[in-house]
This record gives sequence, C-alpha cells and structure tokens, in this order.
Amino acid sequence: MRRELGMAVAVAVICAFLWYSNHHFIGQYNILDLLRSVGMLGILAIGSSLVIITGGIDLSVGAIVCLTGVLIAKISSPSTGGLHYPMWIGISVALLAALLIGIFQGLLVTRMGLQPFIVTLGGLMWIRGIAEVIINGRTISFGSSSFTNLANSGLLNIGHEAIFSYPFLGFVAAVILGGYLLHMTVYGRYLFAIGGNRDAAYYSGLPVKRVELGAYVISALTAGISGIFYASFIQDAGPTVGHGYELYAIAAAVIGGVSLRGGEGTIVGVIIGTSMMEVINNGITMFQWHYHNSKGHLRTFHLGTHWQDFITGAVILLAVIFDQVSHFVARRKRLKAQAAKTA
Amino acid sequence: MGQTQKAQRTKIDWGESLSANATQSASPVILSMRGITKRYPGVIALSDVSLDLRRGEVLAVMGENGAGKSTLMKILSGAVMPDMGTIEVDGKPVALQSIAHATLLGIALVHQELMLANNLDIAANIFLGAESARLGMLDKAAMHRESRKWLDRVGLHISTRTPAGLLTAGQMQMVEIAKALSHKARILILDEPTSSLSHSESEQLFRIMAELKLQGVSIIYISHRMEEVQRLADSVTVLRDGKNVGHMDRTEATKEKIVSMMVGRALNNWYPPKRNFTGQTVALKVENLHVVGTKSPVSFDVRAGEILGFAGLVGAGRTELVETVFGVTPPLGGHIELGGRHFTPTAPRDAIKRGIYLAPEDRKRNGLVLGMSVAKNISLPDINNYLPRWMLRPSVEQRVAQQQVDQLRIKTPSTRQLVGMLSGGTQQKVVLGKWLAMKPKVLMLDEPTRGVDVGAKAEIYRQIRELADAGIAIIFVSSEMEEILGMADRVVIMRDRKIAGIYPRDEVSQEVIAAKMIGE
Repeated sequence: MRRELGMAVAVAVICAFLWYSNHHFIGQYNILDLLRSVGMLGILAIGSSLVIITGGIDLSVGAIVCLTGVLIAKISSPSTGGLHYPMWIGISVALLAALLIGIFQGLLVTRMGLQPFIVTLGGLMWIRGIAEVIINGRTISFGSSSFTNLANSGLLNIGHEAIFSYPFLGFVAAVILGGYLLHMTVYGRYLFAIGGNRDAAYYSGLPVKRVELGAYVISALTAGISGIFYASFIQDAGPTVGHGYELYAIAAAVIGGVSLRGGEGTIVGVIIGTSMMEVINNGITMFQWHYHNSKGHLRTFHLGTHWQDFITGAVILLAVIFDQVSHFVARRKRLKAQAAKTA
Repeated sequence: MGQTQKAQRTKIDWGESLSANATQSASPVILSMRGITKRYPGVIALSDVSLDLRRGEVLAVMGENGAGKSTLMKILSGAVMPDMGTIEVDGKPVALQSIAHATLLGIALVHQELMLANNLDIAANIFLGAESARLGMLDKAAMHRESRKWLDRVGLHISTRTPAGLLTAGQMQMVEIAKALSHKARILILDEPTSSLSHSESEQLFRIMAELKLQGVSIIYISHRMEEVQRLADSVTVLRDGKNVGHMDRTEATKEKIVSMMVGRALNNWYPPKRNFTGQTVALKVENLHVVGTKSPVSFDVRAGEILGFAGLVGAGRTELVETVFGVTPPLGGHIELGGRHFTPTAPRDAIKRGIYLAPEDRKRNGLVLGMSVAKNISLPDINNYLPRWMLRPSVEQRVAQQQVDQLRIKTPSTRQLVGMLSGGTQQKVVLGKWLAMKPKVLMLDEPTRGVDVGAKAEIYRQIRELADAGIAIIFVSSEMEEILGMADRVVIMRDRKIAGIYPRDEVSQEVIAAKMIGE
C-alpha cells in the first residue's frame, strides 16, 4: 500500500504544480475531459492488471479497442461504408468478438502452454489486421449517429457538459466490480496466489488453468468496452485507433504498483496509475510558464505534444526505479534484522 | 552369464591396475584441506573437516545425505568460502575465492546435474568462457581441433560439432570431463557420476578414470554405491554430520566398516515415544502404481494412525512416487484405493478432494506462496469452501489460521506476516497448518525437516506423532535414516525407483536399511 500512497502523493503534487502554472487545469472543461480519459484508459488498465497479477501479460488490448470500433462502425454506422443496422447489434457483435478473442487467447495460454507474451503479441497484429481488412484500410465515420453522444454525455449536466460522463461512470463500475473481484472473492485470491507461485497454487489444488483463462477473457472484454467508448469519443473508426494503448494500460498498472512478476497489485493502485498517466498526458498541453524576455516583454512557454513520449517514458522509469529501491531498502533491513537475530 | 564374466574380468583388471599403483602412498600430496568449518544460519554444515589427496589417487568421499559432502566439494571448487580452515595445493596455502580461481589451480568439479548449454555444440561447450579468437572473431577451427584432442583423451569418438542436447547422459559427462581437462585440471571432483549413467556408460567412465590416474590426475569420487567405491577407490574418507569419522585405505575399506561409520550413532531421544501400533484399518492402498519414468509398478498400503517411513537415497524415486499419488504427474497405470474406493489421481485437486495431502519436498517452490501472509497460505486450498462463497471474510480466515498457529505453535508475529519472512521450520509448520485445517485422511510429508533447525525438528516430530495418534495415516519420506528409524512404524526402502523392501520398524536395523538403500 506504501507504493500506492507514494504515487497518490506524486499525482497530487503534479496536479498542484500544473494548477499553479495554468489555472485552467482545474477548470471545469479540462477536469471533465481528464475524468473521461482516465475512465477510458482505466477500464483497459483494470483488465490488463488482472492478467498481469497472474504473472501473464496481454498485449492485444489496443488491437481489440480498434476492432470493436471498426465492427460497430461497419455494422451500424449510418455513414458511407456502414451497413446501417441498429446500434445495439453492432455493439453486441463487437463485445462478442472481444469475448471470443479472450477465450481463444486464454486457451492458447492455458491449454497449449504458449507464452502469454507471444500469444498476445500475435493478437496485437492479427486482431488489428482483421479490423483493417473489414474496413479496407479506410476510416468509417459515425456521422450524425447518436452513438457519438455516448462518450460526451452522462449524468448531472452543467450546461451541456455532463459531470459524470458515461466513460467515467463505466470506469467507476469497473473499479467497483474489479475491486470486488480482486480483493473480496475467492477468484481474486486465486489470481494473486497463481501470480505469487503458480506451482504452490497447483499443489494446493487450485484450478490454475481456469482461473488464468478467466483473466484473459476479462481483459479482452474490458478492452471491448473501452473500445466502444473510444469509438464514440473519436467519432470514427480507423485502422490506427488504439495504437499502443496496450502499453499505456500496462504502464498505468505498473505505475500503480502492479508487479510484472505477478502476485502483486491493488485496484486503488490501478486508479492512481491511470490518473498519473492521464494527468501527465493532459499536463503536457496545459503546462505553461510566463516569463519576461530580455526586452521585458511577457512571453509564455509551452511544452509541445512532441514531449509526451519522453515525459511519459521518464515517469514510468522513475516509478519502477523508486519501487526497486524501496524493495532493496526493505530487503536490507530484513537481512540486518535476521543477522541480528542469529548472532 | 557372459556378461558377469566380463564384469568379473574388468574387476580383476582393476585390481591389477591398482596393485600396479601400490606405490601410491609414496606419491606426493597435492591437495590438503585442514580444519574446514562452514556454518549456515542455524546449521553447522562442516566442522573441522580435513582431507588429503595424493597425485594420481582416487579418493572416495562417502556419507549420508546432509553429511557435508556437497558443501566440502563446493568449497574445494571455489563456489563457497569456508568460515575457517586452510587449503593447500602443492604445499602452498591458497584462498579459493571463486570457481575461476579454483579452475586456474587445476581443480574442476563435474556436477551431478550436468551443466552444458544444450543449444551449443561440443566444441563450443568445451571452450565456453575460454573461447579462442583471432581479431575478435571466434577461431572455430582451432576450437574444434583442440576439442578433438580432449575428446580423444576421454575416449569419446563423436563429432565435435554435435549439439550437446543430443548427447546421452554418459557422453555429456565425458564432455564435462574433457572440458575440465582442457582447463589443465589435475584434481577432478566427480559428484555421483554414475547416478544417471547406464551400465556400459559407467564402465566407460571407469576405464577413463583409470587412464587419468595413470596420467597423474587425482580424482575425488563421491558416490553412494558401495561396489563402485570398493572397486575404484584407493582410499575412503567418511563424513557424518559435517565431521570426519574415518579414513581408510582400500584394503581396510569393507562394506560393513563403511556402513557402520556412515550411520553409527545412537538414536537421539528427541523422537516422541511410539504407541504400540496395532491399527488394522487400511487408509490408503496403492496398487501397481506405475510412476512415470520407472520400469516397474509399485504397491504398498498405509493404515490409519500409522507412520509409514520411506527411506532411500536422493533419486531413489520417493518424491516421484508421492507426487504421483498426489496427482502432480498422473500415473501410467495402476490405481489408488482410499476407504474402499478406487481412483486414479490426475491432478492435486483430485487427491485433495479425497483428503490426501502432500507437504512437498521443496516447500518454497511448491508448498507456499512466499509473498502472501500466513493466513492466506493456510486458507489457500480450502478457501473455496468458506462461507459465504461470494464474499471473503478476513475474520474467518484469520480465525482458522490462528487456530493452526496456536496448535502447531507457529512462531509468527501475526497471521498477517508474509510467509517469506519466516524461518524454514516455521514455514514448514505453515505448510502443515494449511493441510491440518482441512482434516486430512492421508498426509504425505516429503522431507518435512529439511532445512529445519534442531529445535523445530523435535517439535515437528512430536506433532507428526500426534497426528498419527489422532488416526491420520502418515507417509513420511526422509533421507535421514535416523529420522526414519525414530519416527516410522513401518519402513519402506526404495532403491533405483523400486521398492527394495518393507519392514516393520522393530525388525530392521540401521545397517540393514543402509545396505538395502545402497544395494548389495
């Protein structure tokens, strides 16, 4: 829990700093926008975390985000290229596809004994590949469809802005369900036990393969749900949607204290990790600095969006370095205590 | 018949070659270890051990599992530093700081588990870490040429381009020896070299050992096999509990003498008293169970309230047997009868459902999730049956765990303590607690006191006896004979993945068990 606390403090400090540099950071428009993007990435990150906690990895979620959007657009978009079916059919087919992909990949990992990295790396490519084939590499717009309102509306409006956008509400639901599953059910306990020591879990009679399979299915499903929101938010479906999102989801989980070694992580950590990712993402555009140049004119410094990759990468590294150092310190302390006891 | 004669002849040959070397005692001492002591937390692995090795001598080092042979050899090969004692090579004191250092001095250890890179060819393996290069490019031709020379010297007539993964165990061993020789090894340590070799491969190894001897290479030979030791060794050193208990020449080294040195000690009184076991209800019956990797099926039974001890050397197939009963590796045939009902276990779940539990040999790998708390480890196999199922109740979990902590006297600050932070003995008790919370019918304990300090051992013995008295059938696997004799009501002796005999405790002596374990 110490890890999560440290990260929460870090997020708060960064927010305060951003607010200091640009008061619009706390402005209504920006905050609501931030909450929505936290919601969309967060849903993805929760699914990924489940897999990571078992000691696996799911690299295919970004591609699933893409495929869901493409399926909905192809089946239900009223614009050119769409087949004009009712929206619920498109969404159902998309979620069904996500479910089947999850089952397929989960079976490859658990029954065939293939490495999760390879299975989902393949997924990352062939799933996006299918999406590209479906839309012939083009982009289909959702046009005037009411589907585009999904990401932009919600409950409790102020003017025409919803305080709780549907993506954010979806995230809240995912947090509640995910938290319950991870921390309050036998299933969640099994996830941690398998990630902590797969052999010991097997020797304790746990249904290791079934539990793992479940994690891959949930991960694919959350990717599908997240994909619906992203499609609605972007308002069209193209072959590059969701590109690299699997890595953002993994980064969010890791920053929040989910260990890639497996067996470690909390839902609170995932929330904080996701917030960190999105605050930084948002902060890069919001950050500004006023100064007087040599002639005494007031000037404003902005970071361009081209800084985003660098800063995100640096934050991920700092987070894991911090984690490792605290592990070392704890271990040193423990060894010292042990030495003192045996001496 | 012909084969026996041949074997007989080889033996005679050996006798001759040895007598030809009768001037042995005249050859100079090239290695001398004096007063070697090594402590690990809670255990003294070696205490004041000394050893001399002459040029061209084969010295057999014998002792039970845990007698300190491995530690001594690790020290000699530079992998471990002793706490006290001196080592002299060619009369000069040396401080062996690393394996590389020992290699430089001509000391090479051929491991029991062969350590070759399976994807590389023989030449690459021989030169691993000492590759010859020209202008930064691997000089493969030179390496193959050199390797050929060393392979010829150990009598291995196969291409140096063969990938190591395709070799038989015997050939791998020869490559390892060739590799050692290429490092100009003068002292060769062979750790149970024949344990994975076929008969003819062993014979080949012995021939090469004889040649190396003549070339002046000294060999430290670790083996449990009495006939090999009697046949090969010029002298024998016996270790017990990390101490020297005897050193003798080939002529004095009779089997009886060695066995009595290996086991000769009074039984400690820390074992709980046995009640006069008269139970007749068979709890578990194993019939013709065909364990993967064995040739012949095994049968035995264990009665309710009985402690059935499984004695044998490491690799005798005891762990494989109990793991098969537990369903870790499904058997090739045969079945298990529990309470009159047949079943064939295909996964630990099957066995656990029926009340057959295993505390595995490697508890850190298979028994515990070290990063989880005591309570979570104890509840792990049974938590699915806690009510309500849809919501974990930490208070229930803590209560169940606390019960075991109290009953087994698990020394932990709280049930929330991470298991990885506890000592070996305490961890073992957590493994026990995990199963005892579930009312076992049959409890299989594989080396339950390995890595456990003396005080905790006595405690664990007492608790095992109490469990048996409560009517649980106990299968007790141990490599420490003393433990088997102290605990078991009946003793099953395993050798070469077969049951070599089953005896009631009162009708069997240490010597008989030792002889059966080693094989006549």
